[in-house]
Amino acid sequence: MPSVDTAAVATRVRRAPTTYSRIRYANNLASQAFPAVLIGVLILMVVIVAIQDGTTTAVSELRNGLTIGAIYALIAVGYTMVYGIIELINFAHGDVFTLSAFYAILFTRLLDRMGFSLDDLATLHGVPGFVATMVILLPATMLAAGITGMLIERIAYRRLRNSPRLAPLITAIGVSFLIEGVMFADFGSANVRTGKENWIRGNAFTIGGVTVSWKDVFVVAAALGLMFALQAFVRYTRLGKAMRATAQDRDAALLSGININRTIAATFFIGSALAAAGAIIFSIKDDIVVWNLGFRFGIIAFTCAVLGGIGNIVGAGMGGFLVGVIAVFGAQLVGSAWDNSIIFAMLIIVLTFRPVGLLGMRVADRA
Amino acid sequence: MPEPIAATAAQLASDVALPATKRATEREESRGTFWALVTGGLLFVVAGWFLPWFVEVTANGVGFSPQDVVSSSPTGIGTVFVYLIGVAMVALLVGAVYDLVCLRLHRGEPFRYSRARAALAAAGAVSTVVVWYLIGVQREEPLFGNISSFALTDNAVWMELTGMTILAIVYGVREWIVAHAALAFGGVIFIIGALFPFIFNASIGFISWGASAAAIYVLLGLGLNVVVGFAGLLDLGYAAFFAIGAYTAGSMASPRHGLYLPFWVILFLGAAVAALFGAILGAPTLRLRGDYLAIVTLGFGEIIPDMATNNLFGQTGGPEGITGVSHPAVPGITDLHGNHVSLLGHDLFGYDFEINPKAYFWLLLIVIVAVVFLLRNLERSRVGRAWAAIREDEVAAAATGINTVRSKLLAFAIGASVSGFAGAIYGAQFGGVTPDEFEFAVSITVLTVVVLGGIGNSTGVAVGAILLSFIIFWALPHMQEWTTTFGHTTGITTLSTIDYNKFQYVVYGVILISIMLARPAGLLPSRARKVELQSGTESEALASVRGTV
Repeated sequence: MPSVDTAAVATRVRRAPTTYSRIRYANNLASQAFPAVLIGVLILMVVIVAIQDGTTTAVSELRNGLTIGAIYALIAVGYTMVYGIIELINFAHGDVFTLSAFYAILFTRLLDRMGFSLDDLATLHGVPGFVATMVILLPATMLAAGITGMLIERIAYRRLRNSPRLAPLITAIGVSFLIEGVMFADFGSANVRTGKENWIRGNAFTIGGVTVSWKDVFVVAAALGLMFALQAFVRYTRLGKAMRATAQDRDAALLSGININRTIAATFFIGSALAAAGAIIFSIKDDIVVWNLGFRFGIIAFTCAVLGGIGNIVGAGMGGFLVGVIAVFGAQLVGSAWDNSIIFAMLIIVLTFRPVGLLGMRVADRA
Repeated sequence: MPEPIAATAAQLASDVALPATKRATEREESRGTFWALVTGGLLFVVAGWFLPWFVEVTANGVGFSPQDVVSSSPTGIGTVFVYLIGVAMVALLVGAVYDLVCLRLHRGEPFRYSRARAALAAAGAVSTVVVWYLIGVQREEPLFGNISSFALTDNAVWMELTGMTILAIVYGVREWIVAHAALAFGGVIFIIGALFPFIFNASIGFISWGASAAAIYVLLGLGLNVVVGFAGLLDLGYAAFFAIGAYTAGSMASPRHGLYLPFWVILFLGAAVAALFGAILGAPTLRLRGDYLAIVTLGFGEIIPDMATNNLFGQTGGPEGITGVSHPAVPGITDLHGNHVSLLGHDLFGYDFEINPKAYFWLLLIVIVAVVFLLRNLERSRVGRAWAAIREDEVAAAATGINTVRSKLLAFAIGASVSGFAGAIYGAQFGGVTPDEFEFAVSITVLTVVVLGGIGNSTGVAVGAILLSFIIFWALPHMQEWTTTFGHTTGITTLSTIDYNKFQYVVYGVILISIMLARPAGLLPSRARKVELQSGTESEALASVRGTV
């Protein structure tokens, strides 16, 4: 449905400003200034924490925020890609993230049974050993997760592509329950240790009295690297071009000879694979997963995607880091019990003043 | 000048043809309703009358009459089976007979035919009353000798007579039903709903949890349907309003603030406060479209329970919530000296709900009927048409002079007020309110109710709510029990060795996916929506390429 920018039309017609037009004008101003304001608030939060609790706390909180933000960003990318291409909030995506962590555990166990210990390889042979572990583990898990994502799309979403727009939302919820149920049945309700805690050790550098470990560096660097790779893929490859075309206008893409089904399946594959990478990075960072972890992560990651401007990969990455940092600092300022509230309050404020997110894109109507 | 005449003739023909086809489709749909009613009546007949004769007595002296099945199957599933088998059998049998009779009678005089129907209906009604009375007599003194549980239970007679009556009435007032299909359907649903606690009298678990939960979800679904179905605004945080209603009601009738307002006042206060918050929380979303709106509502859905958990301003009691909420009571009539007026040893009108689940169920039922009535009228009013216009195309709606801001806020407020009712009753029934009852999962479940039942269709939403709460509160928890029994009966013992509790989420997920795949527009899609859907399956771009616009 074509959306007319009524504000733009209104400004073209010259007439005396009414209260309403003044509000409109103020709103537009707020919308344009918003990214700057957001960064300003962020800096202000950092400064307040630095004054209140000392610079050491501020820097260490910044580190924590960036590392958790990196995970959010990797999940958010999957949300934003799927939304961009079929306009579906893929509620199952957060659970694909958790499932991937379990895939990695199962894969490690399988290799163990075959007499090959990934854990030893990662911990006993220094950096090359760790790199080799990643080379083995990452592709395997990402492949498994990618295939899971494609299967989900094939079974639960493809047939509903021309249905009422809320129908696939409900199947997404169903898939989410299904995946959580499978993990619950297999691993129980207790926290599961992934056994990847010691894969990276040592401290990289000290900044402002805070030691930043190699683990932190790895988490952020790996996330950034993966996202740059994805952006390059979407921008420069043929399939990436097809994805962008399909996201822009599915029918026009179909008319110009793009295989829509394959493109959408590929989108799901890539999104899920990135979630799997995020899951492995998360396992190395925090070591504990639980069957319903993906639910909360999924909601937060979707928030990140919306914050960045849904459908926009760079936006999702930025949103992830922003949400991570703001959540951590907010929790420091008003107490960790308000963790979720801070994230969502921020989201509401962002969307109120800038309804299209930071790097905005127009979305279709629902329901 | 032959051409204009031909054109006029064609126009005339189409003018005549259009209402005729419309009437035909309407009649077609009403016929479906009619047959549903007939089938319902027939179900009672066979289940009540024939089954006890065919089924052998089991070891403990418990037979297969409905009452026995109910008492030997505490979860109530046996009752459902009896009813289902009965319906199927009689529908087959009587359907054919009915056709024959109609054909025969119709050929001659319509007048006598309708008199026959009226007589049939009257006879059924009278005989039901008589037999019902006789059953009462038999209970006190077995007039016809001892009544054994398997030969002829009073329930069997009762069910059979009820079925006969329903059948007769349906035959008798068929024309009226055809003319007022929705009302007839609603009335029958209401009567069956009101009889629910009697039908499942022996299955305590169902009454106390399942029925009330189902009714609460019907109410919540109806409320969300205003926002999602009527106005087309996706709301992912509906539980927030439920929470606001429940907390408002809870804090006005509990030791928390030392306030003890009467429940009947609180019921409306809760709804009013929820409506107020609906408008307040709706305000930031006015500029938003589509899924961004969904995310903001999701945000509120997370923040409100968070506030309750963190005991904001010290008003909500933290994670323990508000406890000791008083139960509703109907005040009795007092005379001038303040004594209760009593009739035959009972206080006249005075009644304390306490924890009697049936009372809450009936209260909910009354509220649901009122809400359905109001919402139906609202949907057809000016406001309802404004919502439909906004749902179809917001820009066009604004251009035609609809105040979109006010309409949207109204949708949020009215949707929220319904959940305020639900919250007030919920808090009063369970005597307390805790924040973890209003998590995101509740919002999601209510949305599932709406989409599963059929967006925009009140009846569909009710069906969806009943089906979903049957699955969540009844089928999943009892899965183990039922499969064990089934495995025991059929001799497939491996069935009973599986730990089904582990697979509850899996089963729920699979059910959701398969229902949605089978019926993407919901179980009972709204008619207006169906039209939209058919025109909306092709996007404008492709349609214009194909030249179909």
